[in-house]
Amino acid sequence: MPRGVCGRLASALRGTRAQPPAVAQRCVHLSVSRPSPDQSERTRKPPRAFDPALLEFLVCPLSKKPLRYEASTNELINEELGIAYPIIDGIPHMIPQAARMTRQNKQQEEMEQQ
Amino acid sequence: MAAPRIWGLWSFCCRGWSRVLPGCRLPGLRSSWPRGPLGARPLSQEKRATETHFGFETVSEEEKGGKVYQVFESVAKKYDMMNDMMSLGIHRIWKDLLLWKMRPFPGTQLLDVAGGTGDIAFRFLNYVQAQHQRKEKRQLRAQQNLSWEEIAKKYQNEEDSLGGSHVMVCDINKEMLKIGKQKAHAQGYKAGLAWVLGDAEELPFDDDKFDVYTIAFGIRNVTHIDRALQEAHRVLKPGGRFLCLEFSQVNNPLVSRLYDVYSFQVIPVLGEVIAGDWKSYQYLVESIRQFPSQEEFKEMIEDAGFQKVTYENLTSGIVAIHSGFKL
Repeated sequence: MPRGVCGRLASALRGTRAQPPAVAQRCVHLSVSRPSPDQSERTRKPPRAFDPALLEFLVCPLSKKPLRYEASTNELINEELGIAYPIIDGIPHMIPQAARMTRQNKQQEEMEQQ
Repeated sequence: MAAPRIWGLWSFCCRGWSRVLPGCRLPGLRSSWPRGPLGARPLSQEKRATETHFGFETVSEEEKGGKVYQVFESVAKKYDMMNDMMSLGIHRIWKDLLLWKMRPFPGTQLLDVAGGTGDIAFRFLNYVQAQHQRKEKRQLRAQQNLSWEEIAKKYQNEEDSLGGSHVMVCDINKEMLKIGKQKAHAQGYKAGLAWVLGDAEELPFDDDKFDVYTIAFGIRNVTHIDRALQEAHRVLKPGGRFLCLEFSQVNNPLVSRLYDVYSFQVIPVLGEVIAGDWKSYQYLVESIRQFPSQEEFKEMIEDAGFQKVTYENLTSGIVAIHSGFKL
């Protein structure tokens, strides 16, 4: 799924930025390797929750626009493009391969309901 | 060195390179491994559309990212230990020299790209903290005769021990970041440190954000180095500094021979014996050979928009620190 996401994102952004599709297809393994949360022996340090101060620095890598932190799903959301970057183990994964589309999920839900 | 023509012919036969460019690096004694693939120079003249190098192999650009990811995923756990073994501990001095060249002051915003296990970040924090403590010491000497009110005020103002400095560690590899985070936790680094998983060619940071951008032993693994340099230029503040610590071309012929022998005969063996991973360390030494020379890299940095670009060779050019400013 991430590949399709990235392809669509890439074409959507062609107007704004010259984005070669090669970017989208690299590093496939990242989306596969979502590990079970506690592989390590000891517990992680308390800031497993995201530190909102980071929001000053972070932007969407594709559009360079600011993001919104969604505490419920622990994701950083780019409203404009409708993509959400996950935060796993307190580390935001700011790569398109790890992102999911928010709007398409809604459309799929609507279709399923119908 | 032997007559360049004969050397060139031999390399042509061995590896089928279509032309030997002047100043081209030829590894010394590689008799043992029958690696016969073509090597394509990635960024300069011989640019085939989507092909690049992965060590001495030719791969497509899409593949390279994935393969590099796999390499670092497999070496992550033993990365630091292998660094010590392979460089005989000298890598610590190189990284310390990078920090001394940087001379950060409290309040500096650092972005450390490809800084997975956090070596540069921790050194930065130590440096800034030490500076802050020295400043406090100096202040104490001047403050021997305070009034009670001033002393009470001091207790109320909780000063940040880093003076506002902050380091953002960005890496594309999750395993390396995990190890870095564990190290930070083990060594007690809490404040002023943030970890982000991101791509050096597409940094998830806004323009004009950082005072210093460092990339230590990471840029040769990036598929499109020019893009990474452009991103570096983008995220730096005007007046910001770009620092790159990377393996480079040795300028001394004797050292070069020894270095080649060591690289190709010893390092992969160490990799196999200690980390159980020959191929990753073979990739490592090959990627060093594929990286442009000091001058070439300097030109690439200038192309990205940096000015006052200089480089400093360490250990006869085994490692070089390139520095540029965004003005």
